[in-house]
Amino acid sequence: MSEAAKAELKRPPIVSGASKEGGHMPEFEKDYCAFISRAHAEGGELAEFDFGGQETILMSGPDAQEVFFRTPDEVFSQAQAYQVMVPVFGPGVIFDATPERCKTQLKIQVDALRYQNMKNYASVIAQEVEDWISDWGDEGEVEILHAFHELTMHTATHCLLGKEFRHSMTEEFFSLYKDLQAGVQAISFVDPYMQQPVFAARDRARERLEEIISELVATRRASGKEYGDALETFMTGTYKDGSHLTDTELTGLIIATMFAGHHTSSGAGAGTLLEIAKHPEYAAELKAELDEIYKDGEEISHASMRAIPKLESFINEVLRLHPPLVILMRRVMEDVEYNGYLIEKGKTVAVSIYESHINPEYFPDPHKFDPHRQEPERMFAYIPFGGGRHKCAGNAFAILQLKAIFSALLRRYDFELVGPAEDYEDERANMTIRPKDPCILRYKRRTD
Amino acid sequence: MKVKVDLDLCQGHSVCLGECPEVFDVVEQEDGYPQVVVLIEEPPEELRKKVMSAAMFCPNRVITVED
Repeated sequence: MSEAAKAELKRPPIVSGASKEGGHMPEFEKDYCAFISRAHAEGGELAEFDFGGQETILMSGPDAQEVFFRTPDEVFSQAQAYQVMVPVFGPGVIFDATPERCKTQLKIQVDALRYQNMKNYASVIAQEVEDWISDWGDEGEVEILHAFHELTMHTATHCLLGKEFRHSMTEEFFSLYKDLQAGVQAISFVDPYMQQPVFAARDRARERLEEIISELVATRRASGKEYGDALETFMTGTYKDGSHLTDTELTGLIIATMFAGHHTSSGAGAGTLLEIAKHPEYAAELKAELDEIYKDGEEISHASMRAIPKLESFINEVLRLHPPLVILMRRVMEDVEYNGYLIEKGKTVAVSIYESHINPEYFPDPHKFDPHRQEPERMFAYIPFGGGRHKCAGNAFAILQLKAIFSALLRRYDFELVGPAEDYEDERANMTIRPKDPCILRYKRRTD
Repeated sequence: MKVKVDLDLCQGHSVCLGECPEVFDVVEQEDGYPQVVVLIEEPPEELRKKVMSAAMFCPNRVITVED
């Protein structure tokens, strides 16, 4: 855009209260939901804030969000906004790959999540859930954050890396993954390469994980067996020139898939169970629906879970009020005009899922949990998985997994809180929304 | 009945192909994700139920059906 054209345009309003040192980062880290709401209230559709030195424009409302999601990568770049993930995924993987290789890697990732594979995953997840609750007995208490963390680690590794890996999985894998996760936090957005113990641990974990994956890949190449899991799809995928992913790239793609799918699904599962325990009246509706679907002793399968409307609406409402991701970002690669405002090259644009989901225009009485809500007709108002070309490719997997978990749980057990409801508020630190730790529920085998 | 697709949203999950292969195919692209192709833009009435299922179960809400 020419300087003259730029001079004609207004600049997005700047959010008040930036600190000298970290801009708005300290306030963001403390309670990002409150900060984003304040930014939106001050600036309206566009509000600029200082995200640890990066000028970031929050785009709010479905019109602005639609522009965010539909603008092509050459203009709003996802890769440039997520360079913080490069040391986690490894060199040459996704956000560090050339645009062409990145597109192929993402395509291979989606291939592993297509309709054909999903049928295998449905039965794998059902089996994992059965194993999970096999020793629960008639009643007891369960800390659900830990329980869902473990369950979703099992389902994720089983679907991604296969049955053998899942069952021989050592404590080491858990601990390496934990180190990788700890390597992504608010300060990583300032500089993910600074000298910090958490970043050193992250790099060691990445290296060791590649050794483990390389061994697994070598064993598989030698065996010539078929596995029907994601790793098999990743290993057979090809670039345009016919070459396959390297071990470094395979490791990176596995890490990227785990990162996208694990903590999000784990949090959503815990959030769903907590809302079930909080709302026995809605839980009764879900149980009646599931009892009807599974009345002839049908097994949990891709087919039986095709349509479970009440459970789906319930999960949608959980994802509305407790979206697992904070904000989505893109780096601005070319000057863009929006409604008479300049969105300038070099800045970052952001969309807040949480803020979008509490817009009273589309969600009346927005803070009330109401699974009977209708999803708004307006696209890009309800965006638990983002939207457009970079929409979460695992969205169908995530919903399938939640449906499998609750199909199994709710047919067998009732759940209730063990303390007053105020003890079960969401925690919003560390850039995620999830129930406060510990989150203990009581379960009882159903007798009705 | 008229079938429309929004290719900005399609990632080639192929649910439509599973639900109604008479009307939908998913085709590999030169670059990036495979994408849906509508084989019959105005499908016959007897396919309505299958077309509506494809639209409803599409994880990315790519498909709209107009009367």
